[in-house]
Amino acid sequence: MQVTRAEQPLARDIDKRSLIDARHDRIFQWVLKFCALLVLATLLGAALSTLWGGHEVLFGHSLHFLASDAWNPVTDDYGALAPIFGTLVTSVIALVLAVPVSFGIAIFLTEIAPTWLRGPVSAAIELLAGIPSIIYGMWGLFVFVPFMANVEPALSNTLGQLPLIGQLFQGPPLGLGLLTAGIVLAVMILPFISSVMREVFQTVPTRLKESSYALGSTTWEVLWDIVLPYTRSAVIGGIFLGLGRALGETMAVTFVLGNSYNITSSLLMPGTSISSSIANEFNEAVGIHRSALIALGFLLFVVTFVVLLVARLMLRQLAKREGK
Amino acid sequence: MNDLAAAIAAPLADVQESPKIKVRDVHFYYSGVHALKGVSMDIPEKQVTAIIGPSGCGKSTLLRIFNRIYAIYPKLEATGTVELDGENILDPGYSMNRLRSKVGMVFQKPVPFPMTIFENVAYGIRHHEKLSKPVMADRVEQALRSAALWDEVKDKLKQNALGLSGGQQQRLCIARAIALKPEVLLLDEPTSALDPIATSRIEQLVEELKSEYTIVIVTHNMQQAARVSDCTGFMYIGELIEFGDTEKIFTKPDKKQTEDYITGRFG
Repeated sequence: MQVTRAEQPLARDIDKRSLIDARHDRIFQWVLKFCALLVLATLLGAALSTLWGGHEVLFGHSLHFLASDAWNPVTDDYGALAPIFGTLVTSVIALVLAVPVSFGIAIFLTEIAPTWLRGPVSAAIELLAGIPSIIYGMWGLFVFVPFMANVEPALSNTLGQLPLIGQLFQGPPLGLGLLTAGIVLAVMILPFISSVMREVFQTVPTRLKESSYALGSTTWEVLWDIVLPYTRSAVIGGIFLGLGRALGETMAVTFVLGNSYNITSSLLMPGTSISSSIANEFNEAVGIHRSALIALGFLLFVVTFVVLLVARLMLRQLAKREGK
Repeated sequence: MNDLAAAIAAPLADVQESPKIKVRDVHFYYSGVHALKGVSMDIPEKQVTAIIGPSGCGKSTLLRIFNRIYAIYPKLEATGTVELDGENILDPGYSMNRLRSKVGMVFQKPVPFPMTIFENVAYGIRHHEKLSKPVMADRVEQALRSAALWDEVKDKLKQNALGLSGGQQQRLCIARAIALKPEVLLLDEPTSALDPIATSRIEQLVEELKSEYTIVIVTHNMQQAARVSDCTGFMYIGELIEFGDTEKIFTKPDKKQTEDYITGRFG
């Protein structure tokens, strides 16, 4: 029946058909909108429920929770400064170490490596991304911490003697601590950042690079002046993807950070982070203690949001300078 | 002084006693393919030399040897000699930086860098010279003027170059190349991605630029070669079949193959 209709379509059928099409399109658009809004709703729900769960400490004693570095479950005196400090410091260490190395890996793989080497190295990096964080934590605690305990005296004796940055490297060689956690985090976020960079570097048109070479640029200049600006927003996106992961990473950090509520100037000292505090104490937390942990969770939301916001503003500023 | 020398040398140009670029027995290989098979030619100074031929005949390959741009890729090899003012540029000892400041190149598709219009031109200059701000601004203006682009962009130098039209972008690329004050300008099918109006502007520009630069243009558009060039070389499957005055090549070529190509019997 449809065949005969198709052979000789009546005006009425065509009208009907286009009506149905329009309705299908409308339904399809609604479904898509629903999917997108679902993400927003989930995010908002999670933020609000952590805000509600933590309201006792967040709004209890004015801003005491945000301004204090105390953490005493016995007297129910809680402050979020130490975990926030630990989260930010370990993440920054991780970025400082991981970004240049990722950049190097990505450049090597896209510009310099012979073709036969590209596949295996890329695969190895992707495997690195697939390792569960608990494995990193175990490796960190059993292998890397003892190693760092041996290295740290040397760090104190060399970098620790320098002015300004010297005080970052003071203290007993425990092995555990902010620096160790930052390094483990760096290894964990390396694959994310480098695979994003590698992929976007490949999108740079050959003729763009050739025109730069033709003006007398060296390989480094081509990368720094042409490839990097061309891919800038994606590269920054990749870096913040890594940063987002570093901020929220729990298990690996919990193993090697030392879990002490301290704010120290030395990176060799133990500390704590938002997610590792939650992971460590959630089991036995009741009442105000539980509320404090949930409030920490809410603060992680805020920290991540602020970081993303800063990234956006940075990109906009850069685009303006370039004359877009 | 130079003008005087040029004026005296002008009547001798036909004799081509000292060509700007002297190509001798150049072979080129990439991954087992023998792409150029013994090409020799003399490219005269301050004239336009066109290289024509069907796709894949090696004309772009030849052009890419003149500034050794092929050398950024591994496993490409050129043998023979290419002398620029008597010095062999294929000699590994010849400084790449010096070569690229003497030989500018413009590619098939316009490729502005992702920066402002001003920066696009200034970028190349910075590799070779340290200039103060006003001098740099002057150099950029000069280059844009010679590329017949200044009037169109003088009010938007701080805007991103990607906002220009295709033809403007290509003239920007030419400005970028001549900003280094090269001696030779290599044009690799510079108009193949442009519309007829933009094309004729570029051709006009080539005509104007030849008083200062030695220009080598690769094109698959024979009318273009006939319009803009003084000398023409016809290439076919990696060999230079015939080379001579454009007028002669297009009216009474010596070789049968050249005639077939010119008259459109193959290619």
